[in-house]
Amino acid sequence: MKWSDKYLKKMETEAAKEAIAESIAIKVTNLHKSFKLPTERAWGLKQAIFNRIKGVKGYKKQEVLRGISFEVKKGEFLGIVGRNGSGKSTLLKTLSQIYTPDSGSVIVNGSLVPFIELGVGFNPELTGRENVYLNGALLGFSNAEMDDMYEEIVKFAELEQFMDQKLKNYSSGMQVRLAFSIAIRAKGDILILDEVLAVGDAAFQEKCNNYFKSLHGNQTVILVTHDMGNVSRFCDRAILIENGKIACEGKPEKVTEAYMKLWS
Amino acid sequence: MILAINMIKLKDMSINSNMFSKKNRVLLSELVKTDFKLRYQGSVLGYLWALIKPLLMFAILYVVFAKVLRFGGDIPHYPVYLLVGTVIWNFFTECAQQGIHAIEQRGDLLRKINFPKYIVVVSATSTAVINVLINLCVVIVFALINGVTPSLSWLLVPLSLAELYALALGISLLLGAINVKFRDIGNIWDVITQALFYAVPIIYPISMVSQTSTFTAKIILMNPIAQAIQDIRYNMITTTTETTWGFVGVQWGLLSVAIVIAILVISILYFRKKSKHFAEEV
Repeated sequence: MKWSDKYLKKMETEAAKEAIAESIAIKVTNLHKSFKLPTERAWGLKQAIFNRIKGVKGYKKQEVLRGISFEVKKGEFLGIVGRNGSGKSTLLKTLSQIYTPDSGSVIVNGSLVPFIELGVGFNPELTGRENVYLNGALLGFSNAEMDDMYEEIVKFAELEQFMDQKLKNYSSGMQVRLAFSIAIRAKGDILILDEVLAVGDAAFQEKCNNYFKSLHGNQTVILVTHDMGNVSRFCDRAILIENGKIACEGKPEKVTEAYMKLWS
Repeated sequence: MILAINMIKLKDMSINSNMFSKKNRVLLSELVKTDFKLRYQGSVLGYLWALIKPLLMFAILYVVFAKVLRFGGDIPHYPVYLLVGTVIWNFFTECAQQGIHAIEQRGDLLRKINFPKYIVVVSATSTAVINVLINLCVVIVFALINGVTPSLSWLLVPLSLAELYALALGISLLLGAINVKFRDIGNIWDVITQALFYAVPIIYPISMVSQTSTFTAKIILMNPIAQAIQDIRYNMITTTTETTWGFVGVQWGLLSVAIVIAILVISILYFRKKSKHFAEEV
């Protein structure tokens, strides 16, 4: 591609961004993403040189997303379901700009806080408090913003007495609770959650469920899950992804049904 | 039309790659703090190791090269001269070493969160920067004890440090980006570091080389690392030492600085191009 084409393309995206309606939070258009998977041992300089000499490519192209388009409205709770390897996580990572798409565009209206995994950057040698601030900085929050959220996060996690302890002295349940509280208390316009709902004991679960229900209508959330109960409980709309394409889209009941049929 | 393109370019830069945006500064300072806190975690002496380690290394070199082999020759304040050399050399190698492996080591973060990738490299090199500043304080104390008179030329030392940091950062960005795909780079760099250690006049005075071959001495001094170290020694410890500017010529000194700038620019461009795909390759 010539540089001029590149900039034209960029301009188109830019133009599309301006054209996006106020009520839309995310607009995904014809998204394609593929990976180069190394075939044999293509790892390392020696193999790379051999492959170059032999004319072997050394990798196989795997298309993971093959043309996905959808929109998420502001305040909408969207569920994304599909079997393992269908491309859900790749889609989320592309939305979060961790992966660069091959073609197509993702337009995000507002700030996006991705939780592909809970507690990214958590370090066992740091205290709970230090970890919260580190995690916050990674998610793009300033110290002042974290100061505002800190109390709420700690309170929600019910870990008030433990914040000055090193994380390695937490039980695994406590660690997850802290990470999860950051996730749902993070003040972003759009929240992206990948398979992170089953956390803590029954009481904490209940609390999370209630919190999610209270978010309804005020917060844009994209949730990837395998639990159809969660889809019908929280989501306004759902998408089923199969082989990198949208196989079904619409009301949670309809999508849940389509998901179940995948195995019948 | 052209105006529009330029505007988009500017807008694009301000969103994605402004190194001084508040968000990026916060992240950088958090990562630096974490790195520094964790470095001496669990050791009794803690941060003191940042001081003790170079002093012990210096003690070894001093005994071997100043006392046993008597490399000092006619250089005044040779022990401090040696100490400066090792401190600066350690700064350079630590920077490059940490920087090259930064992307690979922080792979877990890159795979889960989107942020400008250079932050990881800069934060990895920051501990070396903090260390060299602490160590230079030790050097100053030793220099004063040894009878070196403080002078205004000390103010030129940060310039040479900046040059070395630019070189180390350039190497980190370039080799670090290649290292994501080809892990051999880390090993190759270790060998290069060892070779460079002998190619730079740290433990031996350059006069030892110029006695046998002026040409070899000139080649040695055209290495930007040697140029920076000799400049620091000249400005800080003693003017009875050879520098690239005096020994090879001003134009060659400028060339050595130009090489550093060229490496840095090429590395930044290469890193920017490759960093889009780090998340899937690391």
